[in-house]
Amino acid sequence: MPRLHAEVAVAQLSKTGEELCGDKVEVSRAGDTTTVVISDGLGSGVKANILATLTTKIASSLLKHGIPLEEVVNTIAQTLPVCRERKIAYSTLHIIKLRADGEASVVEYDSPASFLLRNGHVVPFPTHEKVVAGKTVREGYLELQENDFIVAVSDGVIHAGIGGLLKLGWNWQGISSQLASNYSSDCNATEVAEGILNCCNGYYLGRPGDDSTVVAMKLRRSRKLVLFTGPPSDKSLDERVVKRFLQVSGKKVVSGGTTANIVGRITGKAVKVDLSYHDPEVPPTARIEGLDLVTEGVLTLTAAIDRLNNCRRLNDASFQDGATLLARLLLEADQIDILAGTAVNPAHQNPNFPSQINIKNQVLNKLCAKLELIGKQVAVEWF
Amino acid sequence: MIEICVGTSCHLLGSQDLFHVVEALPIHRQAKIDLRGVACLQCCRKGPSVRIDGLVLTEMTPDRLLGVINDNLVLR
Repeated sequence: MPRLHAEVAVAQLSKTGEELCGDKVEVSRAGDTTTVVISDGLGSGVKANILATLTTKIASSLLKHGIPLEEVVNTIAQTLPVCRERKIAYSTLHIIKLRADGEASVVEYDSPASFLLRNGHVVPFPTHEKVVAGKTVREGYLELQENDFIVAVSDGVIHAGIGGLLKLGWNWQGISSQLASNYSSDCNATEVAEGILNCCNGYYLGRPGDDSTVVAMKLRRSRKLVLFTGPPSDKSLDERVVKRFLQVSGKKVVSGGTTANIVGRITGKAVKVDLSYHDPEVPPTARIEGLDLVTEGVLTLTAAIDRLNNCRRLNDASFQDGATLLARLLLEADQIDILAGTAVNPAHQNPNFPSQINIKNQVLNKLCAKLELIGKQVAVEWF
Repeated sequence: MIEICVGTSCHLLGSQDLFHVVEALPIHRQAKIDLRGVACLQCCRKGPSVRIDGLVLTEMTPDRLLGVINDNLVLR
C-alpha cells in the first residue's frame, strides 16, 4: 500500500464591509494524522473572529495533546456558550481528522454536513447524531480511498446568493452538484477549495452576505523528494551515499558542483551545465540523466529559502533560476529527505564572500525549519 | 572548447563576467567557440577557473580571457 498524504486547502471570504473573517480554520499535522478544525463565529467581524478563534484554538490544542476526539467534543460542547435569544451556539465546531492509512473521523456541531467526493460522485459524509453535554452533535467514521476528497463549508457558502441570484441560496445540493460536475480525482485540493469559493462569490455577485469558508482535503499518494548536498567528509562514503540517493523513489535533486561531480563520477553520467537561463544572483543549473534538478550549492539553497515565500515568482513560469526551480520542487513534496555532506571547502572561508557560505550547515538547518513550518516532513542525514 | 566553472567560489569571483566576454564577441567569432559551463573545476581558491581545450587556467579575468581567445583564434 503506497504511503498516502492528506493535502489540505483553505479558501475564505469575509462578509462585505468586514475586515476580519468570522470563520476560523486551524490545520495541524502530527505524525500520520492531519486535523482540521473549523469554526464559524456568531455574527461577523471582530467579535465573530474572536469567538471562532477561541473555539478552534481550544479544540486544536486539546487534539494536539492527544485528547481523544470524544473528550474534546465534550469539553467544547460544555464550554461553548449558547445565545439565549436565538438558541444557537456562539460558534460552530467542525473537526475533520484524517490518517495516512485513510481512516477519517468527522464531528459536526451546528455546521453544514461534510461532502465526500469520490470519483466524481458526492454523498454526505456518513454521520450519526449523538447528544454531548446536552448538545446534538453529528459524528462519523469512514475508511477513505486514495484520491477521495472531504469538503467542508461554512454557512456563508450554503446561503450564497440567497434573496438575490438564488432565491433560497446555493444550498447543500447545489454545492454537491457543482463538486460532482467539475472536480475529478485528478484535481488537487486547492483547485476544489478555490473553485467552490469563486462560485460562491459569484452567486453573491462579489459582495458576500456572510463570511464564507471552503476547506478541501484530498487523500493522495505521498510525494517524496531526496536532496543530496555537499560531499561526504569521508571520501570512501561517496559510493554508499550516491547509492542511497538513487534508491529513493521520488524526485531527486543535487545541490553543489562537487556533489554533482561525485554523482557523475559514480554513475558514469555526464554533468551538463545549462546556460540557457541567466540569473545574476543564482549560478546556472545543470543536468544529470535520471535526476530532476542539479543546482549549485549554498548560494542556491540560501536563495531557495526566500523563494519559498515568493508566490509571484513561484507561479510565474518565466522564472527558471535554480533557486526557484528548487523551491517549486520542495513545495510539491510532502516528505523531504536531505543527505548532507559535511566536507568543508576551504576556499569558502574567503572573508570577502558572504558569511552564510562558510556555514552551510546553518543554511540547511534554516531550510529544514522553514519546510517544517509549512507542513513538510523533513529528515536530515549528515555524512 | 571553453568551459567556464559555475561553482560557488567561481561564481562569486566573477565567472558570469567571463561568459559575457564570449557573448560580446562578433557572431562569426562566437561560431568558432564551443562555450560550455562546468560544475566545478576543483580550483576554488584560485577562481574563476576556465578550461580551454582541456587546459585549466585559474584566476581568469575578462581581459585575459579575451587575450587567450584572440591568440587561439588567430592560430587557427
